[in-house]
Amino acid sequence: MCKKELILCVDDEENQLAVRKLVLESKGYAVLTAPSGQQALALLAQHSVDLVLSDHLMPGLTGAELARQIKAQKPELPVILISAVNEIPADAAYADLFMSKLDGPIAMCENIAAMLARAKDGSGNSSGNGSSSG
Amino acid sequence: MESKVNILMVDDQPGKLLTYEAILGELGENLVKASSGREALDCLLKMDIAVVLMDVSMPELDGFQLADMIRQHPRFQKIAIIFISAVHLTDFDRLQGYQRGAMDYISVPVVPELLRAKVSVFAELHRKARELELLNRELEQRVLERTAELRESEKQLRQRADLLDLATEAIMVRDLDGVLQFWNSGAEAFYGWNRQEVLGRNVHQILRTKVPGSAEEIESVILKGGRWEGNLVQCTKDGREVVVASRQVLQSDGGGPRPAILEINRDITAQLLAEEALRKAEKLAAMGRVAGIIAHEINNPLEAIRNAFYLLQHHPTLDDNARVYTRIADEELTRVAHITRQTLSFYRESKEAVPVSIAEILDDILSLQSRLLERNGIVLEKAYGSDGQVIGFPGELKQVFLNLIGNAIQAMPEGGRLRIRVSEAVEKGQQREGVRVVICDTGSGIRPEDAKQLFEPFFTTKSTKGTGLGLWISKGIVQKYHGIIQFRSVQFIRGHITAFSVFIPKSASQQMSESHVLSSASVS
Repeated sequence: MCKKELILCVDDEENQLAVRKLVLESKGYAVLTAPSGQQALALLAQHSVDLVLSDHLMPGLTGAELARQIKAQKPELPVILISAVNEIPADAAYADLFMSKLDGPIAMCENIAAMLARAKDGSGNSSGNGSSSG
Repeated sequence: MESKVNILMVDDQPGKLLTYEAILGELGENLVKASSGREALDCLLKMDIAVVLMDVSMPELDGFQLADMIRQHPRFQKIAIIFISAVHLTDFDRLQGYQRGAMDYISVPVVPELLRAKVSVFAELHRKARELELLNRELEQRVLERTAELRESEKQLRQRADLLDLATEAIMVRDLDGVLQFWNSGAEAFYGWNRQEVLGRNVHQILRTKVPGSAEEIESVILKGGRWEGNLVQCTKDGREVVVASRQVLQSDGGGPRPAILEINRDITAQLLAEEALRKAEKLAAMGRVAGIIAHEINNPLEAIRNAFYLLQHHPTLDDNARVYTRIADEELTRVAHITRQTLSFYRESKEAVPVSIAEILDDILSLQSRLLERNGIVLEKAYGSDGQVIGFPGELKQVFLNLIGNAIQAMPEGGRLRIRVSEAVEKGQQREGVRVVICDTGSGIRPEDAKQLFEPFFTTKSTKGTGLGLWISKGIVQKYHGIIQFRSVQFIRGHITAFSVFIPKSASQQMSESHVLSSASVS
């Protein structure tokens, strides 16, 4: 328990982004926020981020496209897509996990914790993108 | 058109021949002279002779012998022969002459007027006979021609009749009162009534025709405009209702003095059903799209609200009462999330259909439900006669059976028996091979008044707990597989037994298009 783990949270909707940030902070994470994929990429260049949690459907860069660009630079950085879309996009496989916003805050935090633990173990490779069950 | 006839004069004395020529010249016929019997025969063979005028006594071949020879030839039997004789005048001689076929007998001295008159009569007779023969021949020719024509038109008629019977359309002819006069094989096959049963009877009564508007209206359109086209609802012999595209034409000429109505009906029942099914499928697809959009729009704020409640619940300043309120609110929100996931979260399973074991899917569901089964005191009886291999989408099939098993469990809060049977089956109607799954519970049963609406969207018997979409979605999925979903609920003294039966054909996968597959999202 030395330094807080840093999560980059991306969503184009301000309210959702703010609340999600608060939930993550309540769990003891440090949180950076970005309202778009482009700004997320800029922040990633400046900070040492441990995990990216991004919405999928956003103007400009979609979450899946953001994941692709992140993985091109930092393949070991875990990326979780969280979405309300009804269709799992074909390119969702660029992310490590594709989860539904309906899974709720507890499932979201569990997924993040598991993903961070796996990244720390060093075994951190992708393991499919199925919607997680609560 | 009077034509000349040939008159043959036979005598061995040239002088007599000249005399006859002089006498007969004014008849204007063609006079042929022969000085002996042989020469006469020669002439007879060469030309058509009407009258032979011959001397009885001639050297070599006398008149009687010559007459015999002439008569023996069938062609000459009708030739008139007039004997002229100076010597033989007895009745016996005359008799002999008549026996040899002479038409007449003239004795010398020849009275010119008499000879002329007799020859003239025979010449005329011959001419008439010849004309008659000509007419006869012409008549025969005409009869032959007419016969050939008749044969040809009969052939055409037979061909047309064959064509009428080849047509798969029902073709009929009726008079203005509706009495049937013609009924083709197509009509026999389609309506199930054969010719003998319907001819002479009223078409409207037999087919129980229902028309748009009134029958009189159609009749008046036909009588005025000569034709009518439209769709009719009719009944076959076995009572099946069919829809036909009908064309009716008035035939007022050619077919006799009484006008008739020609009617051609094409079966469009299946076509209409297919169109209806397509409309339904399109509606379903449209609903799926709308559901997707709504899901997205609801899920987004829902997440933020749930996160906010999560924060609220863990806020240190919250007192106990407020904590209870937020817990209730959070529970209800979880339910909303559950409902939108179950119902509105349609997504397209873009992958190809794969081999699926229905038994495995059922076991998967049952293991998820095992705690609930235990808690409700439900005894599970599995009877798998097959692993239920079909080609399909696992997510969808799971959705179907999860709904059915979930309903069965919910129907038995006080415990009971849940029986699940899997077997290979052949559908009775179309002989399709497939898998049948029967899910049977001893729960609260289905009320007869609910049975009709069971598969309707938003129909629920679970008051606020159900969404009313589970069975509707299940039915939609089963229909996509061209399968069958049915149920039966029977009341006994001790309770109810409700059985849902699902038939999934093995070979339906080719008919499913991957891009229009609608299925419910994963289940938690």
